[in-house]
Amino acid sequence: MALLETLGLTRLFGGLAAVNNVDLTVDKGEIVGLIGPNGAGKTTCFNLLTGFLRPTRGSIVFDGESIAGLKPHQIAARGLVRTFQLTTLFQEMTALENVLLGLHLHSGRNAGGVLLSRRGFPPDEIARSREVLDFTGLAAHADQLTRNLPHGHQRVLGIAMALAAQPRLLLLDEPVTGMNLDESGRVMDLVKTIRSRGTTILLVEHNMKAVMGTCERVVVLNFGQKLAEGTPAQVSTSPAVIQAYLGTGATHA
Amino acid sequence: MRSAIIVVVLAALALLVPLLGDYYIHVFALVLINIILAASLRPSLNCGQLNIGHSAFMCVGAYTSALLAKHYALPFELTLLAGALLATVVGLIVGYPALRLRGVYFAMVTVAFVEVIRLIAAIWVPLTRGNSGLSGIPKPNLLGMTLVSKSSQYYLAVGLTAIALFVLWRLERSRLGLTWRSIGLADNLAQSLGVNIAAHKLLAFAVGCYFAGVAGAFYAHFIRFLFPPEFGFLVATNILVYNFVGGRGHFVGPIVGATFLSLLSEPFRGSAYETIFFSIAMLLTILFLPGGLITLPGKLAELKSWRATAAPTPSPAA
Repeated sequence: MALLETLGLTRLFGGLAAVNNVDLTVDKGEIVGLIGPNGAGKTTCFNLLTGFLRPTRGSIVFDGESIAGLKPHQIAARGLVRTFQLTTLFQEMTALENVLLGLHLHSGRNAGGVLLSRRGFPPDEIARSREVLDFTGLAAHADQLTRNLPHGHQRVLGIAMALAAQPRLLLLDEPVTGMNLDESGRVMDLVKTIRSRGTTILLVEHNMKAVMGTCERVVVLNFGQKLAEGTPAQVSTSPAVIQAYLGTGATHA
Repeated sequence: MRSAIIVVVLAALALLVPLLGDYYIHVFALVLINIILAASLRPSLNCGQLNIGHSAFMCVGAYTSALLAKHYALPFELTLLAGALLATVVGLIVGYPALRLRGVYFAMVTVAFVEVIRLIAAIWVPLTRGNSGLSGIPKPNLLGMTLVSKSSQYYLAVGLTAIALFVLWRLERSRLGLTWRSIGLADNLAQSLGVNIAAHKLLAFAVGCYFAGVAGAFYAHFIRFLFPPEFGFLVATNILVYNFVGGRGHFVGPIVGATFLSLLSEPFRGSAYETIFFSIAMLLTILFLPGGLITLPGKLAELKSWRATAAPTPSPAA
């Protein structure tokens, strides 16, 4: 059953179609990879799905409901949560505070309670945040300032925050870029564990080894259009895809 | 624990001020007003919104409270509330469209707004008496008692400051405060985690306006004379300067900044030198203490340990 479905999704920047007529389907429980050369429209696609950009044309249906044109926080509240490329984190806060912010949608505390209670945060929210840090292997770094964490940990923290928001569909934007083989292996294992706990995943990634080893289905974008779609094995042998990545003349290499 | 002791000691010192005589009572009451103004700007600053119009809301609170007390003889507890609430309402009306703007564009709107409010106070002569100033404002009448002496009015200011700081502190240390900070640090990430950033910015702004209204209401009944130029652009920039000179990184920053600068600028109060003094303080802070005065103890400790390691250690053999 389709959890996310776009039909004819298009975004124009002036005359340039950054995303052009893309039909994308993600079924419940899948790990889907969105790949393509630089400038293919992958991140624009993410921005459209999460409300940071409005589609020029086309529809986005999440769990039977149209979400095109909603604001980012409204889309997050419906269970579609993203991470960002590179390390977009709250750098001046501790890792724990970052994850506490991830719980924003699931915190019941109102402004009146804030003034009356002695503690700023209810113990169950702290406990839940520590659980998420534990699950992602960051428990030891809970009270460190985020900007002092090594790059790999920062990327995982981004995922941990998104997880705290309890998404039904998690969009990961280049989760293992800039990591070594060992780190990226661990992150991709984490991604599989997240899926096995019931969260569907759509990810953008340039690291082909990670994509091929993790995704069940891969969608290839090029110049904003869908070029190919299929299992990693089908896609990696498709002549059109090879041509897009390596250029013409490479087919007989 | 250590910070709790410091708070208690400072509170005790604040209560002893009336022993110094009327002049110091006056000066320190103005310091307390500046502390409320500076601390109440923090929620908005934490959201990343540079507000250079805070004195406009103080102005609304001051005139509302003064006029209600003067013409309707309402008690201070009601006029204070009315002043603070009207400041909040005006804040919501201005903030709703303006908070969609970011950075320097939002700052420009607040600058324009502070001048608009000042001009309204100057031009609406039948209500405010314009630039001849509003005089004859009654002394604060609290719970049926008129606070006749300067020292009793000073204690009222201590009480108001304590309540304002307590509420603002609680807010800052709560989820609300963390959310506001998250918007200032990375608003796109906050949105993606489900934070309605427009609503939160407006809430933070409104909280600030409320306490600016409180500060204004007390000011009106303490000075007992309101004059539109007292609420101009320069006052608003001073409130901002308190925050930056004190330090943006911690809740005590604006408190330290407001205390330090209001006391130090006291000899120049009301003269042209005041502006020069604030400009120099701001420049020196940017150049030598970008984190503000609150980072000074840490910097000094750093310097000390650096000196200690750099100094040649006398060898036991010699």
